[in-house]
Amino acid sequence: MERSATAARPKRGARDTGPDLGGLFEGYLDPRRPHAGAYDEMFAQDDAAVRQAYRRLHEQLAASQPGDLTARSEALDRALVDQGITFSLSGQERPFPLDLVPRVITAQEWARLEKGIVQRVRALEMFLADIYGDQQIVRDGVLPRRLITSCDHFHRSAAGVLPPNGVRIHVSGIDVVRDEEGTFRVLEDNLRNPSGVSYVMENRRTMARVFPDLFAKHRVRAVGDYAVHLLRSLRAAAAANVADPNVVVLTPGVHNSAYFEHSLLARQMGVELVEGRDLFCRDNVIYLRTTEGERQVDVIYRRIDDDYLDPVQFRPDSVLGVAGILNAARAGNVVIANAVGNGVGDDKLVYTYLPEILEYYLGESPLLPNVDTFRCWLPQEQEQVLDRIDQLVVKPVEGSGGYGIVFGPDSDPKELNALRKKIRAHPRGWIAQPVVQLSTVPTKVGQRLKPRHVDLRPFAVNDGKSVFVLPGGLTRVALPEGSLVVNSSQGGGSKDTWVLAARSSTADAELSGQGLVGAAALDEFAPEQGPELTSAQQQQQQQQ
Amino acid sequence: MTAASTTPSTTDTTGPNGTGTWRLRVVHTTGYRYQAPVVQSFNEARLTPRSDRWQNLVVTRIETTPPTRSFRYTDYWGTEVTAFDLHAPHTELKIVASSVVETGETVLPLDGATWADLRADRLVDRYGEYLEWTRYVPRHKELGQLARELRKGRKPHETVLAIAELVHDRLTYKRGTTGVHSSAVDAWEAREGVCQDYAHLTLAMLRAVGIPSRYVSGYLHTKPDGVVGETVVGESHAWVEAWTGGWWGFDPTNDIEISPRHIWVATGRDYADVSPVKGTYSGGPAAAIEVSVEVTRLA
Repeated sequence: MERSATAARPKRGARDTGPDLGGLFEGYLDPRRPHAGAYDEMFAQDDAAVRQAYRRLHEQLAASQPGDLTARSEALDRALVDQGITFSLSGQERPFPLDLVPRVITAQEWARLEKGIVQRVRALEMFLADIYGDQQIVRDGVLPRRLITSCDHFHRSAAGVLPPNGVRIHVSGIDVVRDEEGTFRVLEDNLRNPSGVSYVMENRRTMARVFPDLFAKHRVRAVGDYAVHLLRSLRAAAAANVADPNVVVLTPGVHNSAYFEHSLLARQMGVELVEGRDLFCRDNVIYLRTTEGERQVDVIYRRIDDDYLDPVQFRPDSVLGVAGILNAARAGNVVIANAVGNGVGDDKLVYTYLPEILEYYLGESPLLPNVDTFRCWLPQEQEQVLDRIDQLVVKPVEGSGGYGIVFGPDSDPKELNALRKKIRAHPRGWIAQPVVQLSTVPTKVGQRLKPRHVDLRPFAVNDGKSVFVLPGGLTRVALPEGSLVVNSSQGGGSKDTWVLAARSSTADAELSGQGLVGAAALDEFAPEQGPELTSAQQQQQQQQ
Repeated sequence: MTAASTTPSTTDTTGPNGTGTWRLRVVHTTGYRYQAPVVQSFNEARLTPRSDRWQNLVVTRIETTPPTRSFRYTDYWGTEVTAFDLHAPHTELKIVASSVVETGETVLPLDGATWADLRADRLVDRYGEYLEWTRYVPRHKELGQLARELRKGRKPHETVLAIAELVHDRLTYKRGTTGVHSSAVDAWEAREGVCQDYAHLTLAMLRAVGIPSRYVSGYLHTKPDGVVGETVVGESHAWVEAWTGGWWGFDPTNDIEISPRHIWVATGRDYADVSPVKGTYSGGPAAAIEVSVEVTRLA
């Protein structure tokens, strides 16, 4: 910061607000901002130079006036409300705020990320197959047996269930962050029911409607064909002798916070969206009740947690699931996607053993590093956590959606003592990480753009032959100043995530115009002409 | 292996060794009667005796009324599971499990591990599941203290026998006080219970002193000197196995060794892992549940 502060012209005499970036970016790199050490994705730390990925975007933004920003932001909000994109926060439906500045990832950065994610999914598939089979990794002493047996999501009732094409992680969401150096690190794996892909697609549609001019200047890889890949994976998962597999999406119902996503995916795949009561099991075969009688179901993309899926095996009081479904899968008559028991693979303590898991199954070291993590169940590491608890982020191993996470630096001594007690009572239940100063991306705050912290959830789809990573992903942004909690359940927003196509790669050629958004056609539409595009969108909406 | 000398058995007159093996037929009938017709009944039965080094399963069959198509698989614990479902409305469900089993010789305590062995990380890791607290076998201060007192001056296998003896002495066998969902602590507070409670209570104390131990479900021929050809009313029974250098069973309900009278079906951390019949159905509550076990010594 020293260099940038002296190189820049200080504004208004004594007050140092960092380099003068002008216009919308005024005061953006203010050295007094919280977590000033975080990696900013648009501006280099030392000389405030605009990074390659954002060069064109910056040019366009820098030319805008604060008034433009407001007008576009309002257009964006209207578009979101029109499309009915909401999520439930503590039981209340509200729009999921989409920021107007996209997050940009270069082709090279993406290539590395993609490789790392594919590597991880491949190893975790082998891990799950092993854990629900012979547990060779445990027999070989690579992992402690207790790591597995003490995991609440290790479902013994899933032992011996063999998916026909071997795939258990049909869909995964691998959460990554960029540390102070800009290095991508995996924060957690989501192998159960990762949600958010609908926001990826809807954010893109909305952005393309409101900002066609931005897309005209970039070669952004498309995300709209996600459902094609998902359907291919689900059809490939069916038993080998099923010619035309009947795939359904199983939702807990309209009250679920992700119901919008369930219905969107079912509609885009052209398959039935069903609830538990629409299905039944007879002699280990699953049927769908239809107006023309019962129809056998071959693959169920379920968006219901394991605990509610089968009252015979799990919670007997569940009315959301289908009694007998797990034995139907065991008998090979239906495929449950994602598989039952995947939670043992995304447990936050198991996560800390990912390097060992990668080495054991693939003989490779991680292409994407983890975030450094203390394991409270190892006495020595627990000691360190208890000593430095006020500097660490402490997380429950089971938690998701940011619930139960304690930020040491933000907690008072009383809270920390209560937490210490909890850790001592149940060390297996907790891990701790140093506070990662997540990277920042310019985000609209009032009339200006301000650095706000982001993470990224790319989605991977495994069809058994290859792992497809959707070029994009859900960038979540923490809206309050200085906040590092990006979960939508904690009041975060999102950004459209742009993965740029390589200038002249063969992959690029394969994509041709088809795989890219923002070809010249979009350029013709100024924001005012948006409605032209809108009519098609709304038509789709009406068909729901 | 050496024979235990701390608790000479009083009820089992056959004594260790020299008992030979028995061939037994066991017929286990479970019946449910419902007040009103029920539908969508999904069930899993764990009623098939094991076939292993100690015990040989000659023949086995599970039949239901109304008849069903059954699906069999081996679960995580190695237990043979028979799953079946009924969809037509019915007011009665009967499950009959019949098996012929050749049981093994009397099981003697195993003096194969020291306390230091049991504390070793590798062992604790390997048998971690059998040292866990569960809903049926929770950690309990008083039980822990009692168990630790019994450990003083005893080897691990002697402690197993001492704990089983204490459970046998302090608990009164009585039906009706505890139910299928009662924990070891519930039984301890009531000082009454049935074999399931004796087993859970023994497990709670064994795990308190770090002896890996598991729940065994099975059957018992009630007569130590069973007459060949005579059918007796048996019991759906439960006992424990402890690891002291190897697994060996003991029956705390009767304070006896596992003998040719015992037929074992399943093991797990507690009752929940081995429950003989569990299921869900749609309809009113069951008006009556009947269970009968008939055991015949065939040879």
